[in-house]
Amino acid sequence: MVRRVLALPTGRLAVGILSLIVLLAILGPTLAPHNPLGTSALTLTGPSWEHWLGTDYLGRDVFSRLLAGSRTSVLGSVEVALIALTVGVVPGILSVYFGRVFEWLTLRIADTLIALPFLIYAVAVTALLGNGIPQAMFTVGVLVSPLFYRVARAATLAVARSQYVEAALISGASIGWIARRHVWGKVLPPVAVALAQTIGVGFVVVSSLSFLGIGVQPPAPTWGGLLASDLGYLSYQPWAPAVPALLIMATVWGSNLLADAIRDVSGEAGRALLHSRRARARRLDPAEPIPAGGVAP
Amino acid sequence: MSADGRPVLEVADLEVHYGLRRRRRRVLQGVSLSVACGETVGVIGETGSGKSTFARAVLGLVRASGGRILIDGEDVSRYSPRQWRALRRRGVVQYVFQDPLRSLDPDLPIEESLIEPLLVQGVGRKEAIERGRAYLARVRLDSELFGRLPGELSGGQRQRVAVARALVTEPALIILDEPVSALDSANRVGILEILKELRDAGVALIFISHDLGSVAGVADRVAVLYQGEFVEVGDARAVISAPRHPYARLLVGSAPTLRSAAASRAERDALRALLHA
Amino acid sequence: MTRTRSNATVTATVPAARPADPPAAHSPAVDVPAVDPPAVGSGDPPAAQAAVLAVRDVRIRDDVNDREIVHGVSFELRPGRAVGIVGESGSGKTLTCRAILGILPAHFAVAGGSIEIAGRDIARLTTPQWTDLRGSTISAVFQDPASYLNPSLKVGVQIAEVIQVKSGLRRRDARRRALELLTAVHLRDPELVYDQYTYELSGGMLQRVLIATAIAADPQVLIADEATTALDVTVQAEILDLLADLRERRGLALVVVSHDLAVVAQVCDEVLVMRAGEVVEHGATADVLYHPRHEYTRLLIAEHEQYGLDRYLADTDTDTGAGGGGEQRKELDGVR
Repeated sequence: MVRRVLALPTGRLAVGILSLIVLLAILGPTLAPHNPLGTSALTLTGPSWEHWLGTDYLGRDVFSRLLAGSRTSVLGSVEVALIALTVGVVPGILSVYFGRVFEWLTLRIADTLIALPFLIYAVAVTALLGNGIPQAMFTVGVLVSPLFYRVARAATLAVARSQYVEAALISGASIGWIARRHVWGKVLPPVAVALAQTIGVGFVVVSSLSFLGIGVQPPAPTWGGLLASDLGYLSYQPWAPAVPALLIMATVWGSNLLADAIRDVSGEAGRALLHSRRARARRLDPAEPIPAGGVAP
Repeated sequence: MSADGRPVLEVADLEVHYGLRRRRRRVLQGVSLSVACGETVGVIGETGSGKSTFARAVLGLVRASGGRILIDGEDVSRYSPRQWRALRRRGVVQYVFQDPLRSLDPDLPIEESLIEPLLVQGVGRKEAIERGRAYLARVRLDSELFGRLPGELSGGQRQRVAVARALVTEPALIILDEPVSALDSANRVGILEILKELRDAGVALIFISHDLGSVAGVADRVAVLYQGEFVEVGDARAVISAPRHPYARLLVGSAPTLRSAAASRAERDALRALLHA
Repeated sequence: MTRTRSNATVTATVPAARPADPPAAHSPAVDVPAVDPPAVGSGDPPAAQAAVLAVRDVRIRDDVNDREIVHGVSFELRPGRAVGIVGESGSGKTLTCRAILGILPAHFAVAGGSIEIAGRDIARLTTPQWTDLRGSTISAVFQDPASYLNPSLKVGVQIAEVIQVKSGLRRRDARRRALELLTAVHLRDPELVYDQYTYELSGGMLQRVLIATAIAADPQVLIADEATTALDVTVQAEILDLLADLRERRGLALVVVSHDLAVVAQVCDEVLVMRAGEVVEHGATADVLYHPRHEYTRLLIAEHEQYGLDRYLADTDTDTGAGGGGEQRKELDGVR
């Protein structure tokens, strides 16, 4: 599937953007030319050779703060996505196989979680569990998990009622075997789409929370926090919020592009795409024999 | 395989209901059938006659509400899911679906679908592939197709793969549910020829179909299923050339033939009136 | 005994397939089951009645790769007659039908020849003229009846709608007419069926409803493209009986497309055998079936007979047991 995603221009673009962001998250803090927390007397200066993106209201280097903040922001969004994945996908698949009681219970829980406004709920939970990125992200992850639950369940239902699963059952295959061999491959693409989308959502959530001052303690930099502090000094530096905003937008855009690309290459549509490419290649190679036993309908 | 002439399958007074309480309706009633080793029995029935339910009950996919089913001498009517799985894993009974496109996983190469029953049994991968190849040859398919996806094969080729898949565990009984209905005449003849070879090789077959011609060409005995009951069971040739029950007569009289030897319209109308009375 | 058949070359112009016996459209006497050899063979003078459908050397091209898919199909159809087109999937039979109906798929086009419906060349028809012609002169039923009906409307309402549009009747009259049609297609309880939805009806009943809709505006030609393929044998027989009935009573001309030789044999006077877009054989049903000239036709017949009922029903003394297909199989292999 990775190769098929990379065959699409949008897929390449998405992977390019996201790998840049990941690099930034890994290397960012070490690359920062200045101490991201170090204040100075030079407050709210414009871009200069010393400070590429200027300084903020406490005289801290904006560029260094952006680099240092990237790790928290990226890790936070990935945490949201992974928690949502594990909390959602596993019961989603099992709800089809584990009988009516389990199905009913998980369905009702998913409905309940959907009904809760997750940003407000996250604020409430951090008040309870303490203010910190992991707690906030955990809460958000659990609250967006119904998306994964629904997606995984729908994909599994379609497979579970298919004849090839019945055929495997008649051959004596166990549920575990069927899940590994037949279900997983069908559930994965839509889950991957949901995952890529959730990373984008998670990014917005981390940024929104730190914009609101939740999750991240004030001196620690995040992209959302930068955006918030820059907005306070809009009259001095109207261009300042643009950089963190652009970074956030680029990441979310990259995630959504990736989600689109995965959707395009997986399932029936993906196979059709592959076929049309292969057909084009075949047309150049006229030696291809017609399969025996007639023409496929 | 039981070589002592004991029947591979014995169904006695089978009864199946669908639905609960007020919506409960009977799908099969008093169905009895015995299939000897190497015997081919045709089950003829139309939509809603209960023929697929019959097959599913024998495979343990539908729970019988009455009667007994003996597979290879074992009474399976009260089997738990675990016992069923153990029985199926032995590969004594296999099944071929009507539509091969849907009974093969569209994302797995032919090879994988073909050897799945062997892998489930715990046969090593290498050996399974080797054995799978041999069966592909038996249904006259090129082993070149091994790596292809089902979508890349023609309907006839796919159905051959499905038959080969049913063969890999060397079953004593194969149940075929409308195996040729979705195929055109050339492929239909191809599959029926393969079935005949299997029959001659001593595999018992239950051939479920609404196509009298195909059944007559392959089966030793024929059972006509109508509204959940076997209304006529007997020698294939006798049932087709001289059916007794009105429904069997209508069925034979309805099949279009090249030389218009079938019943006339008036006869059919009379039979319909008789059945609906 | 006049024999009309054309040989199977691409370019051969088929002599306007003259039916052996003239169709006196509304007299049931002519319409004894078409495959009865005496009926087909009786050499009456050529018909004076004009053809309702004339297909002359029609060629269909696929515009995408500029390939010709159908290489010259010709036949003529007079009121009360039936022509059958047989062939495997992909032989071009359905494309031919769609060309006649003017509903070829997007990138296909008629590249040559002409089609006349009731004397009008369809190439020159404007869209409103087409709309006028469809339903009232030519009509069709296809394989999967459920997909041609709206699942959220009562089936009766859908027939009445066609009648209102085509005949300009008022709602109450349209309903009465729809009930008449449902009776005409031998549905047992027309009043009940009228108020039912598609999911409440079986495949055979739905096909009857579609036939009722197709004949609602009293067309002269009905195209049945694999109309009975998905149905059970007994239901198929009912539908075929119904079509024969409509031929007799209304003088409806039929084009029956099927991959099943026996279906065509039972209904049609005349057969076209198609393979890969070519008409390999064309002639009176009895001629083609009993004295096939082209080896492809022979192959089709051999394949059909190998697992057909004929040998159990007709000549029970020639063959021995279910395993006795050897002789026929050899014959078949010889053809291959």
